[in-house]
Amino acid sequence: MNMEQKIKDNLSFSEEEGEKLFEDVTLYALSTCGFCKQAIYFLRRNKIQFRFVYVDQLDLDEKKELKSWLKEKYSKSVSFPYLVVDDCNVLVGFKEDEWKNTFSMK
Amino acid sequence: MGKLEKEKSIDDVKTFVTMVAEKQGWGLHPDEGFLEIIIDGLAVNCNRYGYYACPCRDHSGLRENDKDLICPCDYCVPDQKDYGHCYCGLYLTREFAAAGTMPSSIPERRPED
Repeated sequence: MNMEQKIKDNLSFSEEEGEKLFEDVTLYALSTCGFCKQAIYFLRRNKIQFRFVYVDQLDLDEKKELKSWLKEKYSKSVSFPYLVVDDCNVLVGFKEDEWKNTFSMK
Repeated sequence: MGKLEKEKSIDDVKTFVTMVAEKQGWGLHPDEGFLEIIIDGLAVNCNRYGYYACPCRDHSGLRENDKDLICPCDYCVPDQKDYGHCYCGLYLTREFAAAGTMPSSIPERRPED
């Protein structure tokens, strides 16, 4: 099993129902962070289907593996919220205008 | 992990951030709901790790490795100079607070591992 599959299979994502604007919208967040909560509210408010995982609730090894895989795969430093849309578009941090652009909203 | 003998309550953490802000002459995030999330997060981290680990960053759980991220973190003042508020949006400069602008996500200043 490759690293990507291993990480994805081992993580328990919470699935959020909504409009399927993209094939896959995955949010990596911290349960303790204000901007991560804003990011989740944004996706819910706009009824976007997504899944998320609270990285701070993973065990240390799992967390380390995930962070180094994210950094290597998407070539972006890992801080939170970390949003991956269709496996190619990555947004780090929550800036509402930037997120609206990504989801083509006015 | 250096757990605390007695868990910190939300009120303990509220008192802590208010005292830090007063002592430093800083403002706090103007939105009550947002402020509550950060205070809750700080309480979770304090009870989880045994120290006030920044709620907007991930941690190793070892005080020695995370010491630059203990609230108010080492990057708070440089971030305030550049953006008017800390990485979390918790502590605002007096000027930023007076302008009534909402803090937003800023780039991570901490050097990578």
